[in-house]
Amino acid sequence: MIERWNRDQVLALAPDASSQKAAQGVSSPGKWSGTGVTDDALWGECKGSGSKPYRACVDLSEPAYRCTCPSRKFPCKHALGLLLLWSAGGVPDAGEPADWVGEWLDGRRDRAAKAVDRAAEAGQARAAKAESGPADGRRAAQREQRVTAGLADLERWLGDQIRQGIAGSRRHDQWDELAKRLIDAQAPGVAGTVSRLGTVLDGDDWPARLLGEYALLHLLCVAHRTLPERVAGAGAEAGGAPAGLLERARDRIGFPVTKEEVLAGETVRDRWDVLGRRDETHDRLIARRVWLRGRASGRAALVLSFAPTGQALDASLVTGTTVDAELAFYPGSAPLRAVVAARHEAVPAGPPPGTAVDRALDEVAAALAGDPWLDSWPVVLEGVTPAGDGMRILAGPSGGLPLHPSAGTPWRLIATSGGRPLTVAAEWTPRGLRPLTTWDEEGRVIIL
Amino acid sequence: MSGTAEWEDLVSTALVGTDRRPLPGQAEPETEVLARAAVQTLRIRAGRRPVPVAEPPAAAAPEEQSVVSRAAADRLARILGGEQPRMLDEWLRAAAGRGYRLAPHLLPELLDRAAKDRSIRPHLGVLAGHRGRWLAGLNPAWAFLLEEVTAAAVTGFGDGEEVWQLGTPGDRRAYLAALRASDPAGARELLAATWEKEAPDDREAFLKVLADGLSLADEPFLEAALDDRRVEIRGEAAYLLSRLPESRFGLRMAERVAKFLPAGDGKIQATAPTECDTAMRRDGVRAKAQYGMGERGWWLQQIVARTPLGVWSGLYGRPPHEIIRMPVVDWRDEVVAGWIRAAMVQGDREWARELFLLKPAADLLAVLPREERETVATEFVRRHGGRNARYGRLSDYLTGVAAPWGPGLAQAVLEAILDISNSTQSWYIGDLIKLAGERVDPGLHAMAERFSLEPPVQEVAALLRFRNDMLKELQ
Repeated sequence: MIERWNRDQVLALAPDASSQKAAQGVSSPGKWSGTGVTDDALWGECKGSGSKPYRACVDLSEPAYRCTCPSRKFPCKHALGLLLLWSAGGVPDAGEPADWVGEWLDGRRDRAAKAVDRAAEAGQARAAKAESGPADGRRAAQREQRVTAGLADLERWLGDQIRQGIAGSRRHDQWDELAKRLIDAQAPGVAGTVSRLGTVLDGDDWPARLLGEYALLHLLCVAHRTLPERVAGAGAEAGGAPAGLLERARDRIGFPVTKEEVLAGETVRDRWDVLGRRDETHDRLIARRVWLRGRASGRAALVLSFAPTGQALDASLVTGTTVDAELAFYPGSAPLRAVVAARHEAVPAGPPPGTAVDRALDEVAAALAGDPWLDSWPVVLEGVTPAGDGMRILAGPSGGLPLHPSAGTPWRLIATSGGRPLTVAAEWTPRGLRPLTTWDEEGRVIIL
Repeated sequence: MSGTAEWEDLVSTALVGTDRRPLPGQAEPETEVLARAAVQTLRIRAGRRPVPVAEPPAAAAPEEQSVVSRAAADRLARILGGEQPRMLDEWLRAAAGRGYRLAPHLLPELLDRAAKDRSIRPHLGVLAGHRGRWLAGLNPAWAFLLEEVTAAAVTGFGDGEEVWQLGTPGDRRAYLAALRASDPAGARELLAATWEKEAPDDREAFLKVLADGLSLADEPFLEAALDDRRVEIRGEAAYLLSRLPESRFGLRMAERVAKFLPAGDGKIQATAPTECDTAMRRDGVRAKAQYGMGERGWWLQQIVARTPLGVWSGLYGRPPHEIIRMPVVDWRDEVVAGWIRAAMVQGDREWARELFLLKPAADLLAVLPREERETVATEFVRRHGGRNARYGRLSDYLTGVAAPWGPGLAQAVLEAILDISNSTQSWYIGDLIKLAGERVDPGLHAMAERFSLEPPVQEVAALLRFRNDMLKELQ
């Protein structure tokens, strides 16, 4: 039996704040009839404005949603309202799903099975045409040339900045032109990094932060220019550090990796704790980061999804739950980004195992060795207490880690702790931790 | 050179530029600066060690109260999130009344609310538990919590003497009220002993406690309180004294009534005072008129409002129901408003009943005993509640009828809601729906659901069901 999600977990699935509000409006028992829940399905009929009620159901193991309402929001307010009602204990257990629910579930599972077959076939087909056609080869070679030229341009530009001095660089518009050139050079990853440089300008320490960012961009140019030769020269050791680092560098530059390539690579099956998520809007595109850690493997993972503002984001990973799943990691050293290759089921589990503060820093250091451009890594800290000036340090027996300036005073975390140590999941960043989630004394997940 | 010094040196070089500050012995100093800066940046990121932390604050004391259930905490989060926001007060009241404490993660949001909304602070005093007080010690914006009543006031005091000497203002008030209920004279003497040293806010709050169990024995203490520095305290003392007709205060007010409101020709020959003298001010009459009122009328109204109602029958030789119908020369509105205020403050049921027939006002209903109040209100709703309402908004009158409303009143109100919703006046039905949802006994939700399928009635039913479930979770 799946553990009921709490209210915060359900609301975290909503695509936006107005959906959260609308869902609360349809979460009262009076609006629903014919509700029921089994191990993995939840359903009900909701009175709408028309004569026929809307039928909503949720496959709790994924989760996946379906509703007969015409809303373009996903999940819609009815699916969320139904989840809220369930979360509040308002849905009775049932032995079997209602007929219309069963049909949908069967249809979904058929399609899922076919999709797996198709992916396998596609993988084989791709392997077969590994030596791709001449047109593909020409396009790829062209892209290599453009990127090489673009990065050479960037390297020169960086050199010019340091020669002339960055004292006059506290201007937000100075990178626009450069970022555009990098887009044209088909290096969207670097272009994104350059276009976000303005964020380092707000603090008093901006010269140091800007120099650090310039240095890492320069390092990326150097990696792209020199690593291929070293990888080729390493011969038998081609699978070693330089090869992995080159893949990581190409990923940061923005060479595309297809989902099929990812699925064909390394997969890890584990019970993954969903630690938390962060949505960021950039150029009318929302990027959703969901952080995971594997119970047995101890691996960290990041599942990234995108949607234009106002459109539905992937809501299938619910913060505070634990899922038995296979994750396929993107290639390269210090692998972090992953896609869900196969989901088995949600498993009830309490707070995830954590590590001490110094161990978490060791892990970050190891990850930085594989990916020098890393600026974010999920950690689970065990036995830490908010402390220090302004309660902005998570302190353990071996010392403390400061929070990111944007975290403010984490009152919810402080209140949950009461001055006693607890387990906290957080996102490590070079400027400090961003708290994601904690667990209270009863083991209930608290989203921070 | 140490790593930190090298990094600072690199930043200085980058700021002015290698054209002006070249690195010695380097053909491409800018490349060298970028390469070294990359090494230093990664050294700093990867080499970070845990920072030493000063002694963390002492942990919060273990709790004695039991925490609200998960379902109850989730419902509170829903209310805070905007679903049925008006139910917040009832949730907090019910949970505090049963001596629960809140789940800790909800405390910051509620403390923030209470910082802006004083009315929920007393509930929070109980619900916050030790954790809430520990948090209030960390955040000056929440320090108000330390003044509030604690759970001890709900679960019973151990050593009363200690509470009175050392407790929070809220606890001291609760202790005084408990003592007043069992030993009125003892409570007054306890208060009198420290009266001069109490803060003005506390004096005002403590004085209100004496309303319960009031007797002529309190008169000397209250008469002395009329000389207090604070106007609110003088006013409160005056209202308490107006309930004691034999008091010196009562006699002074009777003299004023005889002077300004003599009877003649079967009429009340009213003249308003031309000045608000020191003696009147001492007896709680405020000189400054309320906005939009003439000063003289305001003074006259206050004299009427502060006069023991028993004075009138003695002066005119008539029962209340005749007095209120006597013609008043010139100042009728002020006199009637004064009587209404007096009936409310003095809790005089007979006057309240008669005045309501003359001029229905919510405050008058509040004076009547529960059963009679329901009967009067039901009667009023049946006669005036529908679309032909003579008195404007029904909800304005029913605010004086405290929860819970029984089946008779509930049905009358639902009928009125149905009737209004089918008329052209349906625009003002919202307030009535909300009030009914908040006041009707939530146990009647099934009755309301069956009453009619019309949306306004179903809306009331949904509110009742929400409250019914809410109170069940707090059992």
